[in-house]
Amino acid sequence: MTTSSRRPDEGEARDAAHWAPIMEKLRVSGVPEEALSLNVEGRRVLGPLQGFGKMWQKTYRVRLSGSAATPTEVIKTWKENFPKFWGAPRGNRFYAPITGIAPGEVAVLNLGAGPMKLSTGVMVLYADDESFTLMTPQGHMLAGWITFSSFEEEGCTVAQAQEYFRGQDPLSEIALALVGHNMQEKLWEQTLRSLAAHFGVEGQPQMLVTCVDPKRQWSEAKNLWHNAAIRSMLYTVSAPARWMARPFKRLKR
Amino acid sequence: MPANRFEAGVRHQQGVAVIDLRGEVDAFADEALNAAYAEASSRDSACILLNFDGVDYINSTGIALIVGLLAQARTSHRRLLACGLSDHYLEVFQITRLADFLSIFPDEVSALANAPGSAEADS
Repeated sequence: MTTSSRRPDEGEARDAAHWAPIMEKLRVSGVPEEALSLNVEGRRVLGPLQGFGKMWQKTYRVRLSGSAATPTEVIKTWKENFPKFWGAPRGNRFYAPITGIAPGEVAVLNLGAGPMKLSTGVMVLYADDESFTLMTPQGHMLAGWITFSSFEEEGCTVAQAQEYFRGQDPLSEIALALVGHNMQEKLWEQTLRSLAAHFGVEGQPQMLVTCVDPKRQWSEAKNLWHNAAIRSMLYTVSAPARWMARPFKRLKR
Repeated sequence: MPANRFEAGVRHQQGVAVIDLRGEVDAFADEALNAAYAEASSRDSACILLNFDGVDYINSTGIALIVGLLAQARTSHRRLLACGLSDHYLEVFQITRLADFLSIFPDEVSALANAPGSAEADS
């Protein structure tokens, strides 16, 4: 997997090549056959301002003490091995874009084991040599983005993941309060542990949680319409009907 | 290319607090930006205008800082406006969906003319 950022044209801002281009709707391509790709194609991305629930900032960081890896090397490795380091429990899959973590690329996520899979995705909003950011589409449990970065602090390279998000709709907000926050924190702590282990460090991630805005945005409750959990479940339970309709579809052709 | 350190200055213009942003809006801008916002909101301005005229670089951490200011403004029932964005940063504000929540003007004159509570808008 390679990551390439194009060189900015003359007169263009220095960061121009690092940002995703404007896209009205997401397009998914190059997804492996075994992946369930629902709830991403044709969706819009949502930032933390468009969500329903409280706005949170969560920062996870691990010090790569004793490692000679530079921030640039850490981010290059993280981009190239993102699905491998991704700390979700077994059965969950992160199908990275075939062209790698590059601005505007879309990844598909399959969450949950067995026949009941939740399908959603993320778009690469920003990527440079020392950071990259993933943004969620409509239907994802979260509305927001997460920035992965690396930098030097007191002579030590630090790897960091920082999320800014709201629960996307009322159902997601309830799920977050019940189990979501806990699962998510475990996921990113495990991700940082795996990344640190790659560099030969037994890292102990630290977490800082801030509620940026405690108010809920009831005007965004309408996001429930796109909820990927509901839509994935409906897709799964309607599988027998689709299976039975298949011969008729073939006849029509 | 050498890094262009971030600076933020606050002035009050026609009843609107204007924050002049200069340099690179990234993780290192956090302290200066929040200090400027605190100074701007210390007076009872209903509107705070972020002037991006002198900004030549914004990364995704910088955009997150702006989101933080929007959240603070919302909590204190203030309007946040922006002006002086280049075409490129206008696109960035659209893709990140910040444009949905910020009133964006091409320059300071038009922002002040339309800012609710500003002396010019009132007249």
